[in-house]
Amino acid sequence: MKSKRLLLVAGGILLAVVVAVLPLLGACAPGEKTLKIGITTPTTGPAAEKGSPMGHANLDCVEYINAELGGVGGYPVEVVWLDNAYDAAKGVTAVKKLMDEGCLMFGTASSKIMSAVMETANRAEFPGIACFTSPVLYHPPQHIYGQLPDYGDDALAFANFYMENIWKGSGKPKFALHLLNNPTGSGARDAFRAKAEELGIEIIATEEHTPTTISEMSSLTRIKALNPDVLFISSTPAPTAVIIKNAYALGMYPGITIGCAHASFTKALIDIAGADIVEGVYGTFPTVMWGEDVPAMAKMTEYCQRLHPKDYGNMDYITSWAQTLVMAEILKLALENVGYDVLAKGDVESWRAIETQGFQKLKDFDAGGLHGTVTYTPGDNRLTTYNRIYQIVNGEITNPSDWVEAPFIKYEGYDWFGQ
Amino acid sequence: MSLPTGTRDYTYAEDMAIIRTKTQWALFTGFLIFLFTTPLYLGNYWLGVANLIGITIIAATGLNILVGYCGQLSIGHAGFIAVGAYTAAILTNRLELPFLVGLICAGLTAGAIGLIFGIPSVRVKGFYLAITTIAAQFIIIWVINHWQVTGGFVGIKVPYASIGGFVFRTEASQFYLIMTIVVLCIFFAKNLARTKVGRAFIAIRDNDLAAQVMGINLFRYKLLAFFIGCFLAGIAGSLLAHWIGFLNAEQFSLTESILYIGMIIIGGLGTTLGPILGVTFLRLLQQVLTMEVVPFLESTVALPAGFASGVTPMLFGLVIILFLILEPRGLAHRWTLFKSSYRLWPFSY
Repeated sequence: MKSKRLLLVAGGILLAVVVAVLPLLGACAPGEKTLKIGITTPTTGPAAEKGSPMGHANLDCVEYINAELGGVGGYPVEVVWLDNAYDAAKGVTAVKKLMDEGCLMFGTASSKIMSAVMETANRAEFPGIACFTSPVLYHPPQHIYGQLPDYGDDALAFANFYMENIWKGSGKPKFALHLLNNPTGSGARDAFRAKAEELGIEIIATEEHTPTTISEMSSLTRIKALNPDVLFISSTPAPTAVIIKNAYALGMYPGITIGCAHASFTKALIDIAGADIVEGVYGTFPTVMWGEDVPAMAKMTEYCQRLHPKDYGNMDYITSWAQTLVMAEILKLALENVGYDVLAKGDVESWRAIETQGFQKLKDFDAGGLHGTVTYTPGDNRLTTYNRIYQIVNGEITNPSDWVEAPFIKYEGYDWFGQ
Repeated sequence: MSLPTGTRDYTYAEDMAIIRTKTQWALFTGFLIFLFTTPLYLGNYWLGVANLIGITIIAATGLNILVGYCGQLSIGHAGFIAVGAYTAAILTNRLELPFLVGLICAGLTAGAIGLIFGIPSVRVKGFYLAITTIAAQFIIIWVINHWQVTGGFVGIKVPYASIGGFVFRTEASQFYLIMTIVVLCIFFAKNLARTKVGRAFIAIRDNDLAAQVMGINLFRYKLLAFFIGCFLAGIAGSLLAHWIGFLNAEQFSLTESILYIGMIIIGGLGTTLGPILGVTFLRLLQQVLTMEVVPFLESTVALPAGFASGVTPMLFGLVIILFLILEPRGLAHRWTLFKSSYRLWPFSY
């Protein structure tokens, strides 16, 4: 009994010591003066094929900035990088951790994770930037920014391109939409809802599919009966491949124009569907292709081939490399405008400084030519509004169009938005 | 209940007490002090993890009443959580009703929807019932995506929880709110298992034909189990909605539903402690693997491309398999064994 009592007392003392010491762990002395940013990508989970190369690109680009550009304003950029496994709850805890760590802003890859965490960030005024976005993230605009045009912009850019370069008929072309049952699809739906009349197109069908669909024969049969001119798909690579293969099997394609949103328009689409089936399909993408003659291409290629050679050729890598360049520019602007001491705090004062003196001071920033110029326009949290239209020819994504600017749509002004 | 040698009861109240010995009181009091002083020494991140664990414990406790006590397999629990979350969101955002009204209505609405999907349980059981509850998951999510009131694919914002003018803005204040409700829910579940209703649930789980012969109304008690299980899911959904602040249907996937089943199996089916241990273990494992192991492997170890992407699901699956092989009765049983061993120490065998 005596030993048992001793054990209980020892356990109690140990618990008390742990409770007393834990707060001190967070108070370790800081080391080198750095500018800290947070990145969270879906490196594991169902979107890992996109999230993994995007996370690599973020980290590789920071290494490039620190090694070859001397950091930002002489301060090394420090990254707190976290996986979110494409899970909303993990995304929320990840963003809380980034705030705890004193990061000045955070970047994410996907619209799903950003939509899950945006309220957490908005409530704390913690600014964030997402590569791929849907309109819901910044309508109304708060503390979340879109690096690239959103899924609604994709749809409108393609529709504009179609009307100017492909449509030769009379009257209104008939568009059928095949949309993923999440914000990727609803972004395109809302954009067409807002602008179809103005563009002079008629939406004759809106079908939905799931991310795991294995056949869309029935929905395409309904669409085929309506005799469309265009089938626009806003989805990810695997379902898009299913839809195009089914359209091919039904004899709809070739014969109509197929356009894809940027979430699906990657090499994976060609690999899954087969090059012969997707031949001639159009798609939007907001960055340049690998190998194009733009200033940032050489260093990006060098770092990619040295650090993550398997990612070479992946368009998502370009997106996140450019995202990191934009984040570095935001740091630079904020540093110039408010100085290091304000940013060193890593609290809400720093976040406000980053937002008002960094994000909102962006003007015509060129991210090494990797995508359209980056400018903040009051009331519009999309930092880039340019897309290009590509086409699949001989199994390659090629034939880039000029940059097509996406108009600003004030979705929150429509009664139906979010209802 | 196994008790230390020499523990005697002199009244019925003593016999019925949940906490019986001085050591149990000391441990319980110590635990409550530890729990409610947690915000003093944890940052927002770990408080956020604790809040997520608390919310999940409430939902898992509901599922444990349904599956663990009453034996009605449900694989649509995330759908019922979604019903509660959206009910709270609509009431507090669109109708601007108080948080507590939203909370209670979230539980009642989820319970009512659970009753509807529980009706087939009278005629089918086992895998067949599982399929009907999977249907519930898909139907609920479809309705959320296509009903104007829920915000559809765009989603819906949810304000901070507030009671009587006090707004739960900080992670610490949310922690106190969530943990208070967790304690109340666990107290409810613990007592439910000791009532006539709880014993009827257990009788139905062990042999529903025998239970019916004994005079237990299967229809009534099975539906009651669905109502209680889904009521707690709704309460958890409401808290989740106010904690995250924004809802869309993608947050309530079938994978989450399956994960809840995994949590109560690992914790120990049919015990009050099981969901607490199972949820804590799996949520912490998820956090550690996702937040610590993957970044560490990606940044420091030269592994084949894509290895780190697969390491989390691999380890996660491995842990579940090992539990099912080595401790099929769950962590709660392991805890019982530890207590028994400790009582006999140093003469345990």
